[in-house]
Order: sequence, then structure tokens, then C-alpha cells
Amino acid sequence: MGILVSKKTKIITQGITGNAGNFHTEQSMAYGSNFVGGVTPGKGGTTSLGLPVFDSVLEAKEAVHPDASLIFVPPPFAADAILEAEDAGIPLIICITEGIPIRDMLEVSRVMKNSKTSRLIGPNCPGIITAEECKIGIMPGYIHKKGKIGIVSKSGTLTYEAVWQTTNNGLGQTTCVGIGGDPLNGTNFIDVLELFEKDEETKGILMIGEIGGNAEEEAAEWIKEHCSKPVAAFVAGSTAPPGRRMGHAGAIVSGGQGTAQGKMEALRAAGVSVADTPAEMGDAMMKAMER
Amino acid sequence: MNTHEYQAKEVLKKYGMPIPEFGVAQSPEEAKAIINELGLTEGVVKIQVHAGGRGKAGGVKLAKSKEEIYAYAEQLIGMKMVNNQTGPAGVVAKQVLITQPVSIKKEYYLGAIIDREHAEPIIIASPEGGMDIEEVAEKTPEKILKLPIRLSGELKSYELVRLAKFMGWSGATAKQGMKVAKALAKAFIDTDASLLEINPLVETDEGDIVAVDAKLSIDDNALFRHPELASYYDPSQVSPNEVEANKHDLAYISLEGNIGCMVNGAGLAMSTMDIIHHYGGKPANFLDVGGGANKEKVSAGFKIILSDPNVKVILVNIFGGIMNCATIAEGVIAAVNELSLQVPLVVRLEGTNVEAGKKMIEESGLKIISADSMADAAKKAVDALGGQ
Repeated sequence: MGILVSKKTKIITQGITGNAGNFHTEQSMAYGSNFVGGVTPGKGGTTSLGLPVFDSVLEAKEAVHPDASLIFVPPPFAADAILEAEDAGIPLIICITEGIPIRDMLEVSRVMKNSKTSRLIGPNCPGIITAEECKIGIMPGYIHKKGKIGIVSKSGTLTYEAVWQTTNNGLGQTTCVGIGGDPLNGTNFIDVLELFEKDEETKGILMIGEIGGNAEEEAAEWIKEHCSKPVAAFVAGSTAPPGRRMGHAGAIVSGGQGTAQGKMEALRAAGVSVADTPAEMGDAMMKAMER
Repeated sequence: MNTHEYQAKEVLKKYGMPIPEFGVAQSPEEAKAIINELGLTEGVVKIQVHAGGRGKAGGVKLAKSKEEIYAYAEQLIGMKMVNNQTGPAGVVAKQVLITQPVSIKKEYYLGAIIDREHAEPIIIASPEGGMDIEEVAEKTPEKILKLPIRLSGELKSYELVRLAKFMGWSGATAKQGMKVAKALAKAFIDTDASLLEINPLVETDEGDIVAVDAKLSIDDNALFRHPELASYYDPSQVSPNEVEANKHDLAYISLEGNIGCMVNGAGLAMSTMDIIHHYGGKPANFLDVGGGANKEKVSAGFKIILSDPNVKVILVNIFGGIMNCATIAEGVIAAVNELSLQVPLVVRLEGTNVEAGKKMIEESGLKIISADSMADAAKKAVDALGGQ
């Protein structure tokens, strides 16, 4: 179970013949994920990792009927790759690429918002994994353990930290979704929270936010109104200097907006168990489960 | 990427923005040439730095004669400005902008940004110009108008009419104001800007609308398609460590503490700073070595951290995902040997191939303090300061 992806999910990789695309497709296949093909324009008809390569997503769709596409395309072309996957009607599009110009993402955001067929996860994210079933992304597989926590996060390595803590304290995970650190992304906290709320196997939710924007505040509102499951959270960047972009394009406090303090307050007010330090995310989740 | 006022004005001029004639001088001689070329008998001299608050800091002067323009230029070139925007190190003005003063009947604000919440570019306009727009938005939100910019860079005619009414413009002034807004919107989209603002936009005694100041920041991720804008990069306005980090494609930000940090991933790097604070320490920097870091990047990271004289301890926190812990260990050991490291080093490794990485560090015979978790690492780093 878990959300969005399972053992049955059929996956293609856009950019399968590039270094990163090839390496991580191989790693994901080794985890047991069901890859059925890849796309690299100009390399149609060849094979890579034993999978058929197609010139376009549409051709791949007609031949191997994928449920999901993993995108490893360089930033100047990544927005087009997302639009191509949406145009072909791929239900789940996962874009790992970091550094897509925001103007390109404005068009992508508009298209995804109105899409009747597709959901985008990312960009600038580690991907999605349902523990011990299906990994579509760049996270180290072995730190995950099948269990009962759903994790949703803007970060990469900080998510691994949370996963590791919940593996070590025995809670384990259902699905972990990296929504990405860009200012504009396809799937937001609330979208994933809704899915976790409906998922029977998910007994608790761990949410990892960071400075910038107001997605955490909106999520807090949603949790207060609609969430019946225990939620724990951490927000990174409480000591970040204002006005500076902290690595992620979206991680910036400007004009007093988007502070970690504000986000944590909003989450606490919604009854969320907020970890004081990143070392206590697993403990905060445990506490929330015991309440 | 931030740009200078004169660069923003150069860009805006191409879009037909009315801007009083200006020149940029790096020396008093160049200032003299500009005075003559523009035929100035009075002028405004403004330092060119990547920070606001120039007026309050004494970096903007109104001169009543040719001689005074020259004297102010001489005085302001090389001026070091220090305020809360520049940090304690301050920034040095290598050049000044010299321009014709304008008569000011009223000041307005006109800017463009990306509205994250609605995923669209917007114009922000206010009849309250010359002030901090965030303050205006907070105290008097009714004095702020937001209009969507189409992805083509267009503003629709009915939106322009709304804008003119909101600003209180009529007749020829309204026509000019609308033209200015159109130019701003088009320039914002064309240049892949993340911020473009004119503050103040001025209505002169003659009823003309002119841009007196301009600020332009470009989306770093889009610089590849704007080589002419990329050439505006001015390393003198950024801390030397940040310039060096930029060369190695590392995300680095100088801070004021004494615990140097090297972390992979932005979220983990930020939260490493947070946990250092939690245990009573202060990070000297934010440094994300990225997902695909190799030995060279780790070594470059160490050099940058160590070039900050405040650093008394280094904390390495790596959760290997894409990155193999053995690679990191190899890089750390090489850097420690190469740089004959004098300050205590705390290393916390977790993730892919962690056992091999830890073993390499143990067997290196180097004085490296090993930590088992983030909390342990932060505590050990603070302890290693020894009450400093």
C-alpha cells in the first residue's frame, strides 16, 4: 500500500542514457522498482539497462504503457520534458532536476494545475519511495523500512535523516515524498497530506519544511481542519540570515515572510508535534503517535 | 544574481523606460568627462553597491555645481558602506552613478516579482513611493495594487487603466505611466528577473513620469540564456569566500560564528546550523557541497571554510545518498593532510557505504573527532571550542 507508487507501478526514465539518469534508474531497479523503458530523443530503437529506449514519451506510452515517468533532464530542457510527459498523459511525473528557470516553471505550473491526467512531483527533489516496494528517485534505498509513517518533505538529505530516525525507532515508513525545494512545484504539502489521510496503512505523518513561501502555514490550516492522524514536523532554517537564499531556490526569508519561527508556530497551533532540532524528528513522531 | 542600479537602468532604457541621462565613473577623471558630456551644472552622485539604504549611509549626494559633483564623486568612489543589509564587513563602491537631478512632485513605487502562492508574475504598484514597500504593504495594504503579468510580458489594457486610476494619474501623465508599466513588465519577463523595481518612480513638476532608481535581480538558473546579463556579475559586491565557492559550484554563505560547516544538501545544511545554535554554538557559514560532491569539491570546501579567520572548529555532516561516504572520507583525509589542519574537526557520516567511510577515518591516524548523530556532532563541535 502506501500512496502514489507500489510494486505494480510501471516506470520510464526520461534522460535514461545520461550519467545520472542511467545510474539512478539502475539503482531504483535494484531496489525492485518496475522500470519498463526510457526516453532519449535520437536514441529510439536502442536499449539501455536492458530496457527499450524511445525517441519520445508518446512512443514510450504507446509501447509500454507507463504509470510514471522519472525525469533526469538538464535544467535548460527539463521544463519541456515535464510538459512532454503531461502531454502524453503520464499519470505521475517525477522531476529530479535542480536549477530549472522559474519562468519555465510558470508555464509548467499552469499546465499541471489544469491537467486532467497528470500529477507532477518536484522539481528539485529526491523523488518518491514506498518502502520495500518501489523507489523512483535518488534516495538511498536501504535506510527505509516498511512501517506506518508517511513522510513529506521539501528537502533531500534532511529527509534521509528523518527516514533513518523513524527506521531506527521502529516506526518505519509507508511512502516518502520529496516535493522539492524550488519556489514553484507540482505537488505541495496539502496534496500529499490528503493522500496520507486516506491511506489506511499510514498511521502517522511526518512533515519537513523549510524557510520561504507559505506552504507550511497552508498545510497547518489544512491539518487543523481535516487531518485525523498524528502529525509531527520540523522546519529547517530558524537561524538562516534574512534575505539570503539558502541553497534551495525557494529557501529565503524576505521582508519578514517565510520564517521558520512563523511556520513552527502555525504548525503547533494546529496541534502538530514540532521537533526542536533535526535530531528529534523521530522522537517527535513517536510522541505524536503516543498521544 | 543582483545587479547595480546603473546596469538595471541600462536594461530598462532598452525597453523605453524614461530615465534621466546618467553616466558611471570609476575615477574622478571619468566623473569630469561625464559632467562635460551631459553638460551638468548640478547633479546627483550615487554609490553603486548591491545593497539598499545608500541614502541613509551617506552614499547619495546632491551637488549644486560642477565642482561639487566632482568633489562628491572623488569622495564617494571607494566608499565603504556598512549597514544591516551589507553585514559587518560592508561593501565598497568601486563606482558612482552621476545623473541630472529631477524636480519631484510625487513619488511612486512600481515593481515586479514572482508571486509564489499563485505561481504567476505580478506587478506591484503603490502611490506611496520612496519608502520600504514591505512596510507599506504591512501597514497600509489598501495602498498596494497587484496585477498579473502575462507570460508573454504583456499587461492587458484594462489592467493598465486600473493601474493609472489607482496611482491617481490622468491625461498625459497617465499615458506615460502606462508606458512605464508596460516596459517594466516586458523587461521583467524578457530578462528572467526575480525582482525588478523602480523606487521611487517620480512624477516631475512638469507632469513627466521618470525612473529615479532601479533594482534588478536575475534568476541565477536562467543566466545561461542571458550571457549579456551574466556579464553584469560583480564579485566585488560578494564576500571573497562566496566568490571562491561560486567557482567550485558550491552553495556558501558567510555567517558570523566560529564553527565552520560542511554539509551535503541544503535542508540538512540549514538544520545543521539550527542544531549548532541549539547547543549554544554559532555557525561560521552555510555550505552545501551538493549531491555529487567529489574529492576536489570537499577539498575546495575546506579551503574556503579555513580562509575565514573566525573558524575555530569544523563540523562535517554528511548523509550519503547519491554521495558515497567513502568518497567523502577520502576527500576529508586528503584535505586535512594537504592543509595541515590546525583546528579540531568533527565528522559525522551516515548513509551509503558508511562503514567503509568511518573505517578510513579511523585508520587515517588523524585527529578527527567522530560523531554518531547530528546531535552528537553539534555537541562535540561546541565542546571542542573549549569555552571560546
